[in-house]
Amino acid sequence: MWRPPRPCPAPRLSPPLRGPRAVASGGGARTSGRSDGLPGRAAGREGLSRQPQPCRRPLCYEQSERRLHKSLQMKMEEMSLSGLDNSKLEAIAQEIYADLVEDSCLGFCFEVHRAVKCGYFFLDDTDPDSMKDFEIVDQPGLDIFGQVFNQWKSKECVCPNCSRSIAASRFAPHLEKCLGMGRNSSRIANRRIANSNNMNKSESDQEDNDDINDNDWSYGSEKKAKKRKSDKLWYLPFQNPNSPRRSKSLKHKNGFSVCTSASNTLPLLFSSSGELSNSDPFKYSNSAGISYESLGPEELRSLLTTQCGVISEHTKKMCTRSLRCPQHTDEQRRTVRIYFLGPSAVLPEVESSLDNDSFDMADSQALLSRLQWDGSSDLSPSDSGSSKTSDTQGWGLGSSSSESRKAKKKKPHLGLAGAASGLGASKKKRPKPPAPPTPSIYDDIN
Amino acid sequence: MISIHKMNKDAQMRAAINQKLIETGERERLKELLRAKLIECGWKDQLKAHCKEVIKEKGLEHVTVDDLVAEITPKGRALVPDSVKKELLQRIRTFLAQHASL
Repeated sequence: MWRPPRPCPAPRLSPPLRGPRAVASGGGARTSGRSDGLPGRAAGREGLSRQPQPCRRPLCYEQSERRLHKSLQMKMEEMSLSGLDNSKLEAIAQEIYADLVEDSCLGFCFEVHRAVKCGYFFLDDTDPDSMKDFEIVDQPGLDIFGQVFNQWKSKECVCPNCSRSIAASRFAPHLEKCLGMGRNSSRIANRRIANSNNMNKSESDQEDNDDINDNDWSYGSEKKAKKRKSDKLWYLPFQNPNSPRRSKSLKHKNGFSVCTSASNTLPLLFSSSGELSNSDPFKYSNSAGISYESLGPEELRSLLTTQCGVISEHTKKMCTRSLRCPQHTDEQRRTVRIYFLGPSAVLPEVESSLDNDSFDMADSQALLSRLQWDGSSDLSPSDSGSSKTSDTQGWGLGSSSSESRKAKKKKPHLGLAGAASGLGASKKKRPKPPAPPTPSIYDDIN
Repeated sequence: MISIHKMNKDAQMRAAINQKLIETGERERLKELLRAKLIECGWKDQLKAHCKEVIKEKGLEHVTVDDLVAEITPKGRALVPDSVKKELLQRIRTFLAQHASL
C-alpha cells in the first residue's frame, strides 16, 4: 500500500534533484511539510496505471530514492513476467554477470596497483639463483633433494668409547650401552646394585659370579627379558660384584642359589645393560673376545683363571665367557692354557656343579650333554638389538636348548653361563617352577 | 540518479532488477561466490602472472591504474572458466525468476 513519504528528518544527504533554486526551496519544501509534495504524490498515486508525470517537486536525496524505488516497483509490477520474454531475461542475466566479472577484474586491478605502489607485489618471487639451488632433482637413485637413498645404512662409525666400528643405524643404541648412560643402562644398573646387595648377603665368598651377565632375568618380566637380551652383551673380563646372579637364583622360583659352586669360577662376562663397569682394569673392546696379543703374561694368567679363553678361529680372540662356557670344551680350554702358560697349566675351571638355578632340569641335562656344542663364538655385544643374533648365539643356547626355547620366544638375556642364564631367563616366562629333576644341587638345597 | 522519464522500459527494468539485487543482498552474495570460485580455479593466479609480465614490460615505477585496467580486464574476462560462468548465470536466472514477478 502506498504511503505518503515521511518528512526527511536528517540534513540533506546530497544535493537535491534540482539546481540551486531547488536547494533553497528544498529546505522550504521540507519545512513546509507535505504541502508541496501533495500534488506530486497525488500524481504518483494516480499514476499507478499510467505514466507518472515528470515531477518537479524538490526532494531530498533519500526521498527521491524512495520515490524512484516505489515507481520502479510499480513498473515491475506492470511488467510482469508475462510481459518479458526469455531472451530479455537472458540478456539481463548476461548483463548482470558481465557486471560482476567486471567488478572482480577491477578489484583485482586495484589490488595489484596498490601492491605495486606499496612495493610488495614481487615479494613472493624467489631470485633465480635460489631457484636453481633448490631445484627438484629427478635422477634415478636420488630423492628429490638429491640425496642418495639408504646412504647411511652401510656407513660405519667408530665408537669413541670402545673404538669399534659400528653400523650407523645401530650406533645410538650401541653408544647408550657403551657409555653406560641412557635409560636402559641406568635401570639395569640399579637393578643390579639392588641385586648385588641381596647377593652379597647370600654369598660373600663368591667373588666370581658366573652369571653376572645373567643380568636381570631373575626379575622375570618379559620386557626385561627382551631388553636384557639385547643388553647383555658387554663383556667384562672380570667379575662384576654386582652380578645379580645370586639374587636371581634366589628370587627365582626355586630360590636356590644354585649358582654357588659354579659361580665362583665364572667371571663376569656381561654387564647388564651393557654398562661397562669401569672397575675392571681391562677395558676390552666389545668384540666378542680378547685379543691375546695385547695381553701381558700376568694379565693372561689372571684372565685364564677366570674366563674361558678359548681362541676363536674366526676372530682369533679369546673367549670371554665363563669357565663353563658351553661353546667350548674343557679340552679347548686346557689347550689354550697350556699354550699360553706352559704345559703345567691347569684348567682352573670348577665344573662340579651345574649352575642350575632356574634351569629346567630337562634343559640343564640337554645342556650338559651339549658341552661340546660349538655355537658361534662371536660374542659380539648384541647392543645392536640383533635379537636374532643373540638368539642364535644364545650362548650356545641357540641350537642346544631347543627345548628351552620352546617356552621362550625370544631369548631373554642370555646370561652368563649361557645356558644357565639363558634357560633361566627363559624360565621366567614359564609359569611352572622348574621341577628339579636334576639332581644333586637341588636336592642339597632342598 | 537518472530521472525516470529518461529511462526506457528495458532500462527501467534493468535498473529495477539491479535495485532488487542490491537490496536483497544477492549481489554481494554473487560477488563473493564469484570471487571464491575464481580463486579456486586459478584465475587469479593466471591473471597475476599476466600482471607481472605487463608490469615488467611497463616498468615498475610507471604503472598506472588505467594501464592495468586496460591490459588486464579483457584478459580477465576471457580467462573466466566456463563452469564458473555457467554457475553464476544459473544463479542469476534463478534470482530473476524469483523476483521478476514481484
